[in-house]
Amino acid sequence: MPVRVLFFGAIADIVGKRELETGSASSSQLLETLTQEYTPLASHKLLVAVNQEYINGDVAINNGDEVAIFTPVSGG
Amino acid sequence: MDFCELTTEPIDITSVARRVVPPECGATVTLDGYVRKFTRERETLYLIYESYDEMALKEMQKLIDDAHSKFEISNVGIVHRTGRLEIAETSVVISVAAPHRKAAFEACEWLIAELKRTVPIWKKEVYAGGEEWVDQENS
Repeated sequence: MPVRVLFFGAIADIVGKRELETGSASSSQLLETLTQEYTPLASHKLLVAVNQEYINGDVAINNGDEVAIFTPVSGG
Repeated sequence: MDFCELTTEPIDITSVARRVVPPECGATVTLDGYVRKFTRERETLYLIYESYDEMALKEMQKLIDDAHSKFEISNVGIVHRTGRLEIAETSVVISVAAPHRKAAFEACEWLIAELKRTVPIWKKEVYAGGEEWVDQENS
């Protein structure tokens, strides 16, 4: 099973889609790859959740995981 | 009974407030958060709220669990609306029932502050001449 990567808000607008599939990697590798492909991402603070939990620092992302990438939240 | 929900429909504030009321309580504090017309002198036309639904519900439930350990409260209800919201429409309702009002006020304030910090929901402000996703810092 591939890794599902979900995008929300400003990040979805930059990437131009709400979801893509990729292979296993570390979270920092994934962010680096995405930032190279979608350079405007570099100007945003990016938060990462793996399987619907916030992560701190670099973590391994395994096949079947659901990763979400988004900017600081602004609900309320 | 505690509850947290997302909806694209208008929120009935009174029904949220009444659903948290148990017999042992004496006060419910309810926050009605709604869409403001002016932010830093710029006129908002409407807002679009977007949510990462599954994670947002999990984070709201965590807040409810944490509120129970921090405050002397009985029940908490949180309902957040998503989609397009017009000026003055309710975007979020938080109701906290407690035996005594002080804990309910404190818990309600803590819950909205944490919700705005942790629950994965974003708003896009649409104004005359443009639109932009709101930064956490100026929401």
